[in-house]
Amino acid sequence: MKIRELAAARAGDKGSTLDITLVAFNQQAYDTLVEALTEEYVGQLMRRSVPGPVTRHLVPGLLAIKYVMPEALEGGIYASVRAGIHWQKAAIWLLLDEEVPQ
Amino acid sequence: MSSTVTVACGAGFAGDRMEPAVDFATAEGIDAIVLECLAERTMIAGLLEREKNPSLGYDARLRPRLSPILPLTFPRRRAVITNLGSANPSAAAAEVARLAGEMGLAGLRVAAVLGDDIVDRESHVEWQDDSVLEDGGRWLGVHAYLGVDPIAEALRQGADVVITGRTTDSSLFAAPVVAAFGEGALAGALTVGHLLECSGQLTGGNVADSRESGLTAAEYADLGFPWARVSADGSAEFGVLDGKPARLDPLGATLQLFYEVHDPHAYLTPDAILDFTGIAFDPLAPNRIRMSGARSSGIPERLKAVGFRQAPGCIADLEISYAGHGCRERVLIAAETMRIRLEAIPGVSRFNLDFVGINSVLGLGVDIPWEGSEVRLHVGAVCDSDATARSVEDEIYALTLSGPAGGCGIRSERRAHLSVESGLIARDQVTTSLGWYTA
Repeated sequence: MKIRELAAARAGDKGSTLDITLVAFNQQAYDTLVEALTEEYVGQLMRRSVPGPVTRHLVPGLLAIKYVMPEALEGGIYASVRAGIHWQKAAIWLLLDEEVPQ
Repeated sequence: MSSTVTVACGAGFAGDRMEPAVDFATAEGIDAIVLECLAERTMIAGLLEREKNPSLGYDARLRPRLSPILPLTFPRRRAVITNLGSANPSAAAAEVARLAGEMGLAGLRVAAVLGDDIVDRESHVEWQDDSVLEDGGRWLGVHAYLGVDPIAEALRQGADVVITGRTTDSSLFAAPVVAAFGEGALAGALTVGHLLECSGQLTGGNVADSRESGLTAAEYADLGFPWARVSADGSAEFGVLDGKPARLDPLGATLQLFYEVHDPHAYLTPDAILDFTGIAFDPLAPNRIRMSGARSSGIPERLKAVGFRQAPGCIADLEISYAGHGCRERVLIAAETMRIRLEAIPGVSRFNLDFVGINSVLGLGVDIPWEGSEVRLHVGAVCDSDATARSVEDEIYALTLSGPAGGCGIRSERRAHLSVESGLIARDQVTTSLGWYTA
């Protein structure tokens, strides 16, 4: 099962920090994602694209999971040498398109 | 006094659509309209403009944005609050008073919120990454994020329009609520501001929900912008104007609540440390929700500062296309050829090669399925001078004669090598004041 089948997402940036919010579609989906999408696992997924550590925050009352990557954007979007210079909003697909690990 | 204050988001960035603010200017029940128009990008543009002409530096959209709404809001006593002042709020306020005078709106009062420009106190800022001070570059500007108080004070003193520079976006929306209800509404009012500040992102824009196809093109083209009706306890109802297409629901509100929030327990604003973990969203009707549970856990000791820095040299962006049979193989060879050539240019400190349509956005590898009959190679290179950038540009043209067959469609541009730095400054280093202008 893909992560996108269990949650919606939005990403943002501030300076070098990239942040991604997942909001699960229901309680069961939330519990599954909390169990499966650890800092370590999301760190592996993100490192395919960006450097640095991943920190996770949980907000069970709103079924929300927050990932914060303070070094990911290396000097911010203005210093980016990627073609997708303001690419940060697309970073959600680094998670949504992946499988939920069993 | 009314038991609620209704604040509408008329713009969520400088280039946002014009119609929503005009609609809010006459719609029933709106008390204040906020145009949130300041981003790092537009602040840098303002700073560069102010360098050339000290009477400029406010956003160039000031007149086109305010002209259609002031004749509607002024007779209705609806406040307009905006950060279009950018790098020069006092000049912007003077310009708005002039504009109002030209439109016959005699007596319209404009307040400029001053004090965010702290470039002369840069040495008092503790920068998150102080290595930037050794980049050989210069500060374009240094600004403190101001809070609710000066805006609320301007409204209490009867301002029809409040113009700010760098304030926290949420404080623009919170100010009319705090001006009416005082500190008891602060946590809720700031949370409301945080939810409203990105306009259509609260009402159905930029929602990645794989269960549905989203809004139609016609709906996106006419997307309703949000308003919030805030009570004295800081709880609020959110909606869009009747008949406007939108998707405003608890899930979308939750996405926006945590947008660019790095700690849900502690979202720092100049006036409060907001704890979003007790927030609840309840659906009331289609495109109508209620928010409650906003809390503050204190006030930050210092203010946030932002510094805009220009390093020497520039970033060169170049693209070249390959099409037809074997284009994948040829573009990979072209990229490798560029890599060898760029590594030999000493003034290039860093570069990236990616393939538009393949991996240029997410930056993943090239070992993924490629489809299509053409590919575009993009080169981004940090250059120490314009001369180095010229050498890099010349190399991509050289591919057309001395590289794989069929390179074409070359485009190149240079952009300033900018960075945005975050820091903290003691509160006693930042003093705010109001400047008044009357049409």
